[in-house]
Amino acid sequence: MEKAIHKKPKHTRFERNRLLTGILFLVPSTIICFLFVVLPVLNVIKYSFNEWPGIDTVPMKFVGFDNYAAVPKTQGFGEMIVSTITFALGVTILTVLVSFIVAMALDKRDKGRINRNLMRSMWFFPCLLGHAVVGILWRIMYHYSNGVINKTIVQLGGKPVNWLETRVLTNFSIIVPTVWVLMGMTIVIFLAGLQSIPTELYEASTIDGANKSQVRRFITIPMMAPSITINVLTTSIAAFKMYELPWFISLGLPGYSTRLLTQRIYFFGFENTGQMGIGAALSMILILTITLISLLQFVFLRKREDIF
Amino acid sequence: MAKNNLNQIPGATTHKSNRIGGVSELASKIFGEFILVVFSLLIWIPIYYFVIGAFKERGDIVKYPLLLTPELFTLDNFGAAIDKMNFFAALKNTGTITIVTLVIVVAFGSLAGFALSRIDHKAFRIYFAVIIALMVVPFIGVIIALIKQTVSMKIYNSLWANILIQAAWNLPFSIFLYTGFMRALPKELEEAAYVDGCSMFRVYFNIFLPLLAPVTATCLIRTGIGVWNDFLLSLTVLNDSYTPTLMVAVQSFFGERTSEYGLAFTGILLASIPIMILFIFLQKYFIKGIAAGAVKG
Repeated sequence: MEKAIHKKPKHTRFERNRLLTGILFLVPSTIICFLFVVLPVLNVIKYSFNEWPGIDTVPMKFVGFDNYAAVPKTQGFGEMIVSTITFALGVTILTVLVSFIVAMALDKRDKGRINRNLMRSMWFFPCLLGHAVVGILWRIMYHYSNGVINKTIVQLGGKPVNWLETRVLTNFSIIVPTVWVLMGMTIVIFLAGLQSIPTELYEASTIDGANKSQVRRFITIPMMAPSITINVLTTSIAAFKMYELPWFISLGLPGYSTRLLTQRIYFFGFENTGQMGIGAALSMILILTITLISLLQFVFLRKREDIF
Repeated sequence: MAKNNLNQIPGATTHKSNRIGGVSELASKIFGEFILVVFSLLIWIPIYYFVIGAFKERGDIVKYPLLLTPELFTLDNFGAAIDKMNFFAALKNTGTITIVTLVIVVAFGSLAGFALSRIDHKAFRIYFAVIIALMVVPFIGVIIALIKQTVSMKIYNSLWANILIQAAWNLPFSIFLYTGFMRALPKELEEAAYVDGCSMFRVYFNIFLPLLAPVTATCLIRTGIGVWNDFLLSLTVLNDSYTPTLMVAVQSFFGERTSEYGLAFTGILLASIPIMILFIFLQKYFIKGIAAGAVKG
């Protein structure tokens, strides 16, 4: 901007026209995004500070932070915190770990035997399915007496496992399908990262006599640090946002033990509509959590751009 | 960063194999390959299970979960599922929502991206930062207010509400993509046209638009999959009185106690098959598009 001023002392008519046309070009997207993204965000903030049953004829009553204060007193709050954090942590750790190992195995550098593109597509495929559909599918697979998982266990001589109604185990049961879905993306990002490591690095280390595990330890993993960070952050955001997939699998059961933050927002917003304010306060907690992770990501991405 | 061709980074630079391949190394390679194949097949079991399940009766799905023989094969599920989930009406809804959303997102997104990338002005840079900030907001975080708002705007329970909301939530990403892409295009591209007295819209339409194919492909695939697979918005904004979208319709086979497995699997297959077929033909673009979305957003 400053540079532009120094170069051209006055705005020409041509430039002013250009600016006006440019603004005109932004109008359609601005209207749509303002109406359906910005406005609802402002409204959620407003709801979170008001007491309101959600009916237009009843006026809102400003209550300050009362809704936020009421959140910890809602039934199953402790379980929500535990389940949401276990879910996000479990999904993030497992997804990143598994996809890192798979990406190493799929790396194009060791070209040869089986078509790597086909394999990559195979691992990528699950992330094309809708989350609702995946949830329904896995719930059937987990079924105690009819599901394929217990059927297989019984056939192998084991005892059937109650995947969907056992505390702690069910928290794990909702993590696995989520990893199954998210993995496709993280693998692709890891593969891109692996392929950007210069081949010379590997060659030089081999000449210096490094063995395979040393190469992995001192070249691959440090060079992959940026991709690992990106995948950790994006996967954790995705896990915090996840709604229908874990819901269709466990329905929040047993008790409240797998009911996540997002599912609680839905509950207070659409089922228990008397307490709109609490739903809005929960929404704000989610928005702030995700904003925080995104800020980390943003700072990190900027830093990385400086390096490269 | 996002616009880098994620899967086209030259991976072709393979080792000029300068290591001596001993017998043990060969064995470990074969073993590694074997493990990889086993796991690749394992993660496909859920997909295999539901696809063959769509062609079996409920009892056979339970009895022989992973088998499909000619004796078990049946097409009965399809008729019943198409009937029960009101398939063609749901397909029409999902199709309409997806296509109209894509048109809006590509048209307005590229227009805004053109302005943001070609005009160097402080206000435009701030606007771009706001767009990036909008990409961060989680949809479920505002759904309560959003649905209330559609009611007061009198568009609740209409396809238009669904389309406009989808467009609004996908526009920031497409603006981000288009702006990034066009920033990399040289200035000389348009200068001659302006000297000849072309309007800005002509420059956008005749000179830039034809160059945007790669980024449009990314945008179409990412937005398309997201909108097609959307469940939450369609569930909340299209009320019971409206024929639902495919993803919501599949839910009709799902009860807490009883489940018609055969119908559910057929429903899942019917709802996912268009994307599955497209993927088979456009794998490269799909993977690139999704990965671009993952890096940012």
